[in-house]
Amino acid sequence: MKHLFGSRNFLIVLFGTLAVLPIFANQYTLFVSNLVMMYIILALGLNLLIGYAGQLAFANAAMFGIGAYGCGLLQVKLGMPFFVAAPGGAVIAMAVGTLMAFPALRLSGIYLALATLAFAQATQWAMLHWEAVTFGAGGFALEPLDFSPLPVSSAIGTFYMTWAVSLGLLLFASFAMRSRIGRAFVAMRDGEIAAEALGIDLLKYKAMAFAISGFYAGAAGALFVPILDFVSPESFDLFQMILHKSMVVVGGLGSIMGSVIGATLLVFLLEVLRDFKSTQEIAFGALLLGFVLFQPKGVVTFIRRWVPGWNEPLHYTDGTKQTKQAASTDEPVATEASEERT
Amino acid sequence: MMMFSYLTATGITTGALYALVALGIVVVYKATEVVNLAHGDLFMIGGFFAYTLHVMWGIPYIPSLLLAVAGSFLVGIVTDRIAYRPLMSQGLVSVLLATIGFSFMLKGIARIVWGGKGDYLPFPPLVAPEPIQFGGIMILSQHLVVVAGAVLVMICFAVFFKTTRAGKWMQATADNPKAATLVGIRVSRVYMYTFGVGAAAAGAAAVLMAPLTLLYPDIGFTLFIKGFAAAALGGLGSIPGAILGGFLVGLIEQFAGGYIDTSVQDVSAFVVIMFAMVFLPNGLLGLRGVRKV
Repeated sequence: MKHLFGSRNFLIVLFGTLAVLPIFANQYTLFVSNLVMMYIILALGLNLLIGYAGQLAFANAAMFGIGAYGCGLLQVKLGMPFFVAAPGGAVIAMAVGTLMAFPALRLSGIYLALATLAFAQATQWAMLHWEAVTFGAGGFALEPLDFSPLPVSSAIGTFYMTWAVSLGLLLFASFAMRSRIGRAFVAMRDGEIAAEALGIDLLKYKAMAFAISGFYAGAAGALFVPILDFVSPESFDLFQMILHKSMVVVGGLGSIMGSVIGATLLVFLLEVLRDFKSTQEIAFGALLLGFVLFQPKGVVTFIRRWVPGWNEPLHYTDGTKQTKQAASTDEPVATEASEERT
Repeated sequence: MMMFSYLTATGITTGALYALVALGIVVVYKATEVVNLAHGDLFMIGGFFAYTLHVMWGIPYIPSLLLAVAGSFLVGIVTDRIAYRPLMSQGLVSVLLATIGFSFMLKGIARIVWGGKGDYLPFPPLVAPEPIQFGGIMILSQHLVVVAGAVLVMICFAVFFKTTRAGKWMQATADNPKAATLVGIRVSRVYMYTFGVGAAAAGAAAVLMAPLTLLYPDIGFTLFIKGFAAAALGGLGSIPGAILGGFLVGLIEQFAGGYIDTSVQDVSAFVVIMFAMVFLPNGLLGLRGVRKV
């Protein structure tokens, strides 16, 4: 009984339901489920970077865009088939993400946040103005994906591909965070100098955090191409940034299950508010602000408290024992991520 | 020569406004060690306040400028109350996430109140648009008014920090919050006023800029990036640096737009930020900081 409601069973139910969904779902439901799985990947990638490795970067939406553009343009400009172009897009995003780790070694906290924000805006600019390569503001359309040797339609094939990729990346993230990598990330989050003193190579693990995060966002971007069959710059604007941020924060920073739950809940909210741009901005802004203020460890804290079998290692503590630190001039570097870990 | 002088004049004008935005960012950063990511949206709200007062209600320009600045001051205080004060003990990540959430709320509210995406509200020009000749150099009188206004606001700031009690409290708090508490300054209240003053600078910049450009809900982030580029170039934490950086970013942007390609104008601020972050982490006039453990 204890483990009946555990996180593993929750995942089995969620992905089991998704697996049989195409039998009775209509096209809109399939589309929304695709989005849910894609945003799970995005939220996981961002959570590995912010929640585990403690690097507050704002370039996730840009990596998402780079993955999508990489996948789309490799097909349109170089004529590659999708199954080559999609991993290509993800790897390009991963490479760009890794490059971003080098400034991250010198910059911390606020500088890193704003350098990555500037990078994200520069990427957006390149998508809009580098028309020779990116087709500019209008974007470009692609043929629906063809699964011709297999007897499935394009929509069903895309759905199962997204299902398999998101499940794979979810399991990878879950295992990686339980391994040496995850423990190194958390040590880095809780204190870089302490981590270095324990023999954790900061260069290696920061680069790894940015690379994995970039790969996740890029993979989500590559999956986004067959979901919409259309790529345009406005899919990767600032609003995406706050969307990913609020998914991670609502679910719970430093929690794999939190990202799954946060992404699922917020995609539904996004769909409810689809036609109201201003309401979306207010709703997601307020959610982010509200959770940071009142429930900074996300909804998984409630679940952990009330569901006995729900346990997850390396998440933040419940917030009962926090080192209080005023943002004073005495400890400018140590202001971030000072919570103790479980 | 014609083009050069025109670009210089425009660069100095926009640069003066960026300097004001950067001033607000730096004032808040010096006191709290946090960059208010909603700063650009405070700018945007200030501009819309002025639009409501001046264009919709017909109040003359100077009173509507003062009222809009007062309005931005209040929104700045609200920012402190809901996004900084409850979180200052929680560390940087929480504050940054909270201010970015707040900035999107402001943007959404502005979109509801002042029109949807794609609605660009025009603001009437202040003075006749005829250019003035200065020995072969043409300058738009509009630009002169804006630069004069911006310089006036900067002087007001300098006077405020040098002479008033509140200004001295802010300097003391920025210098050493613990010592400031010991001599009886209510540090958390000073933080609140600091956010208000930073927002007021942004509001003043917005009201001065409004007649030169159009107002739209997404303008905030653009101006935030430019103001931050100016602050980072000058040295985040140095007020003279912010002003110098503002003028430099304005000029770089105009020259890049004029001599390379107009689309490059938009990206130059990002390039400046990334360059400043990587090669000049202390900025041009910033103090050489020691990284503390």
